[in-house]
Amino acid sequence: MSKLSLGGKTSSGKLSSWVQPSFGDFFGGSGSNSLPSTKGLSGESKSKTQSSNAGVGGKKLRKRKGEPQTSKLEPGVFSSRRGSQENQDESWVDVHAPQTQAELAVHKKKVEDVESWLRVHLDLKSANKGGAVLLLTGPSGCGKTATVHVLAKDARCHIQEWTNPTTAEYRKDDAFMDSFDPASRFNSFHSSSQTAAFQEFLLRANKYNRLQMSGEDGAQERKIILVEEFPNQFYRQPGCLHDILRRYVRTGRCPMVFIVSDSLSGDTSSRLLFPKDIQEELSIHNISFNPIAPTSMMKVLSRIATVEASKSARISLPDKPALEQLCSGSSGDIRSAINSLQFSSFTDFSLEKSLWASKKGKSSKSAAKSTSRSKGKGRSAKSTDGLEESPAIGGKDASLFLFRALGKILYCKRESYEAGDVPKLPAHLSEHQRDKLLVDPELVIERSHMSGELFNLYLHQNYMDFFSDVEDVARASEYLSDSDFLTAEWTSRSTMLEYGSSVATRGLIHSNSARAQADQPSSVGFKPLHKPHWLHINKTYRENYLTAQSLFISFCLTPVSLVTELVPYLAMLSNPMRNQAQITFIQDVGHLSLRRFPGRLKLEALGDKDPGLLDLDSDTDEAGTQSTEPGAQTTVPADTTAVPTLPNSQEPGGDLPASQPQPTTAEALLDEKDLLIEEYDSD
Amino acid sequence: MSLWVDKYRPTSLAKLDYHKEQANQLRNLVQCGDFPHLLVYGPSGAGKKTRIMCLLRELYGAGVEKLRIEHQSIVAPSKKKIEINTIASNYHLEVNPSDAGNSDRVVIQELIKTVAQSQQIQSSTQREFKVVLLTEVDRLTKDAQHALRRTMEKYMATCRLILCCNSTSKVISPIRSRCLAVRVPLPSTEEVCSVLMGVCKKEGLLLPAELARQIAEKSGRNLRKALLMCEACRVQQYPFSADQNIPETDWEVYLRETANAIINQQSPQRLLEVRARLYELLTHCIPAEIIMKGLVTELLSNCDGHLKPDVAQMAAYYEHRLQLGSKAIYHLEAFVAKFMAIYKKFMEDGLDNFMF
Repeated sequence: MSKLSLGGKTSSGKLSSWVQPSFGDFFGGSGSNSLPSTKGLSGESKSKTQSSNAGVGGKKLRKRKGEPQTSKLEPGVFSSRRGSQENQDESWVDVHAPQTQAELAVHKKKVEDVESWLRVHLDLKSANKGGAVLLLTGPSGCGKTATVHVLAKDARCHIQEWTNPTTAEYRKDDAFMDSFDPASRFNSFHSSSQTAAFQEFLLRANKYNRLQMSGEDGAQERKIILVEEFPNQFYRQPGCLHDILRRYVRTGRCPMVFIVSDSLSGDTSSRLLFPKDIQEELSIHNISFNPIAPTSMMKVLSRIATVEASKSARISLPDKPALEQLCSGSSGDIRSAINSLQFSSFTDFSLEKSLWASKKGKSSKSAAKSTSRSKGKGRSAKSTDGLEESPAIGGKDASLFLFRALGKILYCKRESYEAGDVPKLPAHLSEHQRDKLLVDPELVIERSHMSGELFNLYLHQNYMDFFSDVEDVARASEYLSDSDFLTAEWTSRSTMLEYGSSVATRGLIHSNSARAQADQPSSVGFKPLHKPHWLHINKTYRENYLTAQSLFISFCLTPVSLVTELVPYLAMLSNPMRNQAQITFIQDVGHLSLRRFPGRLKLEALGDKDPGLLDLDSDTDEAGTQSTEPGAQTTVPADTTAVPTLPNSQEPGGDLPASQPQPTTAEALLDEKDLLIEEYDSD
Repeated sequence: MSLWVDKYRPTSLAKLDYHKEQANQLRNLVQCGDFPHLLVYGPSGAGKKTRIMCLLRELYGAGVEKLRIEHQSIVAPSKKKIEINTIASNYHLEVNPSDAGNSDRVVIQELIKTVAQSQQIQSSTQREFKVVLLTEVDRLTKDAQHALRRTMEKYMATCRLILCCNSTSKVISPIRSRCLAVRVPLPSTEEVCSVLMGVCKKEGLLLPAELARQIAEKSGRNLRKALLMCEACRVQQYPFSADQNIPETDWEVYLRETANAIINQQSPQRLLEVRARLYELLTHCIPAEIIMKGLVTELLSNCDGHLKPDVAQMAAYYEHRLQLGSKAIYHLEAFVAKFMAIYKKFMEDGLDNFMF
């Protein structure tokens, strides 16, 4: 994106951005970026059109806006359009790229975080030697790159960015260039791997300053190394990157910023490239960006719309509901929101018109809907709206992080019915009366990108905290049991999976009678979510079972009697005829600590960005805490006085990621609705 | 020094301590030189395996006691490699095909085929058949049981099968009808006592009759368990005293505490603790069925007579689910939650009645 914007600034006339081809036919302006070789031809046409001001030539005339005599010749129809000509060809994302901190749509706190980090590490006189590394994560289009660029500009430092070399660069073996270009000495480097090239880049970026150009002030000598794309090798072997980073942290002189977009699939995520231990080892500071909050996105969109509308009459200012629709449809991706705004604002585009009309109908409908349901609901209602319907233009495939998906099911928001249409249940079923559900469980599961079975496990691990009545729990657990039963037969499992997860989610939601009515105050407040234990438990169980059989095979017993009779008693006997492995196993499995609350289970908190993948192998070394910001992890969460009488084994403990709101008593008192919103747009 | 259970295991049919009449019948069966396929069944700890080994010794002599453990790998037709442990002597092969999980059919077919196809060399001095001992036949898949049926007929000439299981209810009837069924019931309390006394006498220890009785009762007449308990008693305290505390296994104590926790309080928090305890039991290799059984026994002894039929019905329902489903914790937890709900309701109702 930064490259695009650079191109945009230097040559607004000669633009080849992605929007252009689609508008080219209509505006006829695509000729303006014609190749130098056609210059003569265009000159010819100029003379031609000057002589004959036919309507056909009018189109071609418009591209030479610098020439006064042509403008005289232009028909009046076109003259009004001319002012906006250059901007229409250019992507608004680039035109309206934020220039100052005030223009950034990113939350102020995040900007400050990044700024303070940069201030500390750009200061060359500061004592800390070695390169500092900052890692910015967040969904795409949440303003990570824009923030870095704006801040670098403010700090008057220069950004040196790594781009993956393309194959074209490898073919620079021009003999003529060789003899003159001093860079040819490094030509061997072109044929080497991307990894080597990356290393070389770091070395040089670190060692050499930019050439002092005349007219530039000396303060620009500070620089930041920005890495947004990674050589492919690093995805396959993250160890390479770690080695290079280790070296860099020792020897580097300027701060380095990595920008990694979160992805739900989890294979190219920051987790792979920058695992926690590496982050801690190299003291990489991680700042995670959230999606742009709807309010600040609205601000930006309406600003852009106003500016553009004032520039040109061809732009029709979208009305407020339409903007809101764009906002919610983009699910926090400001880049896609601006792009769709641009696309939807050209009113005289025939194809687009029909789209716009259809969208308008839809959006007015949704507006009506949202006003009807937003009685005291405010923003939360809208955000759910956005999930349910995707707009015709710029609809981003909204996906949910596991953390939010679980929250949607467990908090199960409802809204009260209109006075008229409350479905009446017969008296004996009145306890099953529930208000209308605001979430669509099947949609939530679909958006969580997980198999229903695994999602159920997550629900099972966490649902208990959200229930207060044993009878509700009994009903909920019955539904979970049902859903496991549905998928029991492997021949039909693929079909039944969806039904199973549907039964589990809907069952959980229905059986939580504390949340039956919309206006019932939520009694739970914030609860930390955890990763399921079952997979780990089941694995240990099977492993131990097999170990028992292989270790004690000479006793010729059935496995069940082996583990329930022999091993426990062997643990009590002092029988010397055993080998070391057997003794260890007996100690481990035969003895059960008779403490009331087993300490063996480590609760692994679920972060809000965790992909929820199944890595069974890494289950054993789960000691690493999940905190996303090691630095901010100093405060142990205040004890929620929820269950003071019992030494609760599920105590939040210190492993709560800092990205999750810490459960303080103040927050527990908060309304759950406010809390979710706060989670969405605060930090 | 081996365990008492192994050390004093009778090695011949004549030396068996109880069910002597059955032992005689078995001896008669073997003495005529040949015998049909056998299906030996009975509860755990009744002495099925001991009886089978005695039978084999009667058949082949002391040679069957030279056991070797073999690690065999079998390649299934689908190129899948299956690893399985077998215990074999020159005359017989013991295998637990259910170790192979879903591939047990392949194990049965391949293993029995290799055994049956190799003829005994000196058939003049030895029997002309080998014995294959299959344990835990009731845990075989239906598929494997049908395969077993074919194999039994096909290799009748060269091998005999002895099937060993706890209950015949899960063995398909074609197999049952092809075998001579031998039921080995649990020894009576007196028989357990006499065995315990006998063992202690051989060890040179003095076991009070009262303690022997208590051990026998506590072990549920499971002789293996009784002997292990007795040995644990010996480690715990000697000389024995009649009112000695008989050590139980850790998991049983733990399970009982879990049941008590359920009885004492019924709340989601408590259920969460119970879940943690269930997980703990599972990691210690206690199978989910046994946890369920233990819980029900403990809970039933603690709750009112009015509730018992309901609880038993629930237990049966979720035990069935446990067998069909794949994730045991769902069903165990559902059972506990259900119990909590009805127990709480019962207690509250009872309180109301008491008040008015």
